[in-house]
Amino acid sequence: MTTLSTPTPPPGSTNHASKSAPVGGSSRRGTRGPARRRGNTRFVLACLLPALVLFAVFMVVPTMNVFRMSFYTWSGFSPDKRFVGLDNFSRLLDDEQFVRAFQNTVALLVVVTVVTMGMGLFLAAIMTRQRLRGRNLYRFILYIPNVLSVVVIAAVFSAVYDQENGLLNSTLRLLSLDGLQQVWLGDQKLVVYSVAIAMVWQSLGYYMVLYMASMSSIPEELYEASALDGASAARQFFAITLPLIWQNLRTTLTFFIMSAVNLSFVLVRAMTGGGPDGSSEVLLSYMYKQAYTNSSYGYGMAIGVVIFAFSFLVSLLVSRATRREPLQF
Amino acid sequence: MKESTRTALLVTARTLVAAACLTLVVTARTTVGWGNLLVMLAALAGLLVLLAAYNRRFR
Repeated sequence: MTTLSTPTPPPGSTNHASKSAPVGGSSRRGTRGPARRRGNTRFVLACLLPALVLFAVFMVVPTMNVFRMSFYTWSGFSPDKRFVGLDNFSRLLDDEQFVRAFQNTVALLVVVTVVTMGMGLFLAAIMTRQRLRGRNLYRFILYIPNVLSVVVIAAVFSAVYDQENGLLNSTLRLLSLDGLQQVWLGDQKLVVYSVAIAMVWQSLGYYMVLYMASMSSIPEELYEASALDGASAARQFFAITLPLIWQNLRTTLTFFIMSAVNLSFVLVRAMTGGGPDGSSEVLLSYMYKQAYTNSSYGYGMAIGVVIFAFSFLVSLLVSRATRREPLQF
Repeated sequence: MKESTRTALLVTARTLVAAACLTLVVTARTTVGWGNLLVMLAALAGLLVLLAAYNRRFR
């Protein structure tokens, strides 16, 4: 093992240059260093200040306001606000509709994440590893839904699920599978999964492209070497691909949590309006309904606090569960 | 027990637990109530524990 050290002059010799230079240098650094550091700090702070102000005004203050308003009862219009402490939260415990919305949110979070991630990884692996003819066309087709507005997607799926003339029921009739026809957006048991399919369809292409970008940066030699050792395609996927795109997977898992909460709200509002009989309500749509339609702003903000806590906790747990040292390749 | 057999058993067990958690989420949703919501959250926690267990050897 080699180590680098300062060469020592031979005994008896005098090396004025080596002695005087550090002294002069350190004295210059001693006088100019702290001043320059202070200047650098001021410059960095000045650069950060606009972003920090914007973050405080548009993120911190509204979030604090949500927490504050959850302790009040307020219609949203009148100037009268009444402090009720934790009453809004205790009301949540007896609200069956809130529980149903929470259950739907958890179900969408789990089902959409598992299905989209599984299909996204599978398609990305096929598109990257297999030399498919026209794979750019497939990628383009799968990515299109992500470019569309969510409201357009809701309209498309409302048409597909239409009971009489919808694509789904018409196809089933054509195949003489009349028994499988359903009221896709009118059945209380099915409606959430109908929304889930629209969510998967919307986001699949996006995640597939993200995974493909990571997979295409993995050196080909790794696959060649493992193939020489007799590794199958599945073995290569789990031993090479998955570990090397892990950081990307971690990021997308956080995206899944956010989109399960946010995207489901838009799709539910546009496709079902929370119906039938509130069976497709999700947390965010229920919060919106309470705060802006039912004139229970404080109660809506209490639901907002629960959404914040739930999203934050799940994101934190996912981040901790998936933490590992990034692999360099 | 051979290492390959042990690995195969572990992968099978993890797949079964993941499938059970997913099934639990889907079935518990059909009935509205705090108990069922807690079951769903427990299933979600189970999936996260599985993820952490898979990831542990790579840390």
